[in-house]
Amino acid sequence: MTSTRATGLLAATVLFIASCAQTGSIQKIEPGERPALETDEAGLWMQMDGVEEKLRTSGKVVIDPDLNAYVRDILCRLNGSYCADIRTYIVRTADFNASMAPNGVMIVWTGIILRTRNEAQLASVFGHELAHYINRDSLKRWREIRNTTDAAVFFTFATGGIAGILAGFAAYDSIMSFSRDMEREADTRGLAMMREAGYDPRESAKTWQQLIEEKEASDEPKRSAFFSTHPEAKERSETLAKLAEETDNSGTTVGRKRHAAVTAPFRGDWLLDELRQRDYARFEVLLNQLTEAGTEDAELLFYRGEMYRLRNEDEDAEKAITAYIAATESGDAPAATYRSLGLVQWSAGNITEARAAFETYLAAEKTAEDRAMIEYYLKQMQ
Amino acid sequence: MGERMRRAERPVMRAWNRMGAVVAVALLLGACAQTKSFLTSESLAQKPTNPRVLIMPTDVELSELTAAGLLEPNAAWTEMGRSNVDAALDSLLAGLNTTVVRYDESSTAGSDAETQLLKLHSAVGASILAHKYLPALALPTKKNKFDWSLGTGATALRGRYDADYALFIYLRDSFASGGRVALIVVGALFGVGVQGGTQVGFASLVDLRSGEIIWFNRLVSGAGDLRKPDLARGATENLLDDLPL
Repeated sequence: MTSTRATGLLAATVLFIASCAQTGSIQKIEPGERPALETDEAGLWMQMDGVEEKLRTSGKVVIDPDLNAYVRDILCRLNGSYCADIRTYIVRTADFNASMAPNGVMIVWTGIILRTRNEAQLASVFGHELAHYINRDSLKRWREIRNTTDAAVFFTFATGGIAGILAGFAAYDSIMSFSRDMEREADTRGLAMMREAGYDPRESAKTWQQLIEEKEASDEPKRSAFFSTHPEAKERSETLAKLAEETDNSGTTVGRKRHAAVTAPFRGDWLLDELRQRDYARFEVLLNQLTEAGTEDAELLFYRGEMYRLRNEDEDAEKAITAYIAATESGDAPAATYRSLGLVQWSAGNITEARAAFETYLAAEKTAEDRAMIEYYLKQMQ
Repeated sequence: MGERMRRAERPVMRAWNRMGAVVAVALLLGACAQTKSFLTSESLAQKPTNPRVLIMPTDVELSELTAAGLLEPNAAWTEMGRSNVDAALDSLLAGLNTTVVRYDESSTAGSDAETQLLKLHSAVGASILAHKYLPALALPTKKNKFDWSLGTGATALRGRYDADYALFIYLRDSFASGGRVALIVVGALFGVGVQGGTQVGFASLVDLRSGEIIWFNRLVSGAGDLRKPDLARGATENLLDDLPL
């Protein structure tokens, strides 16, 4: 058996080595470059082209021209020569994320736009993604996965049993740390592009710091460090802060005004997406951060009230009422503020206040879809 | 970028991945049968004379099977395979006394709605594979009947192409890499069977008057090679085996 296994392993190794044709160093992609048809890279592009075709007509893609123009403008400012190769898709999803596909499809979650305080922070995300494209990181990762899993499967065959399982873990770990190295490289390159474009590089580390605060508050269980593709947020934040301090930041801007103006029409919807995750502690941190970054306007107060109303713990009803009233007092509160206020007041037994709030809601929202329901509530209160 | 790079593709891609898994399982289980088809009724109520059949963009993908069993898509093979399948479809349908109408992939008119239709067909196709071919997932409401539909939205194609039917084709073909072949050899030494490349696919015929899928067939084969014109023709022939036209 041992000798058969040894022969088999030898045969396998010889054939395996012969089959590893596509290795060697991977150069940066040039602007306008397309992979040659015979390459593994062309296969990855083809597959992602198919995904893009489906994504293009997805109902989750935000088609607003102003928002799209804003995102593209930042991207092209970061690197004019590559911007024609990148197609950006803003996808309506809560949470913090963006990604880059090998064929130049950049996906930006609305949750990341909501969380960035200014143009520079968004630029730090795009710079990182653009670096992945330029460095051909998808291709590198694919080859790493292919070669590592190939090696692991041969090892499994050659040794059998527990050693094979360990080889599997080792392969996984190797792929993950390979990815972490690519992420670090993309962070560094992204930061350089950001500085070059005139954005304050110190904003990059701040973006991570904000996310860390949110995560620490989160009810969600902590991720395992072992299986993570990205260096821990803390490490990234510290490295980026250090790098930013080492560069000359004079003459750079953060671009807060345009960021606020372009995103304002969407902020309410995006906050609602976050609230629907029902991770209230995390949502509260996000609200606090947004409040600190600007002024606590009626919309933020309304969502603060919504958070308390939905969480509905100890003193949440009173807190919700306070927030709703503050929202109505600060002017231009969404009409829904009065509906929510009515509901909470009614539950608290404050019939007069509840009635007044519902009536204000109906007067403000002439075409309210739930008019009949609210009128029914009013009748119930009599 | 984020902490959760691996989750980046989640919202848009997770559904497709899930669908891909269902398709893969449904296609591979019961691999002993080469093809297995379903028809809305035993025969078409009125067999049309010289019907016009619109061939939708053929969804073909050829890949290399790595030693560890991953599929690496290959663009050059795919291009070859797709053109072979398209040529086979043209000649096979012409032989069936039908008029072949080609879907215009270059045009942009109405393309968004039609892209949605292609997506819908992928979803319905995956449902059929899951619920008609996997007994464990059989739906009580669809017992002993075959009544799947793309809805009336599909009838828009009838207006644009003046066609009676639309034919949707999905084919995947994979070939063992050098490493996989080595593993098959080693596996044989140890008495362990290692799967080589596989050819799988499904086809459906949609009545453009109603949007109903009137015929559906699934193909599974451990042999074949879509890169070769004659073998691609053979596979297409198998897939269209009992097409009711």
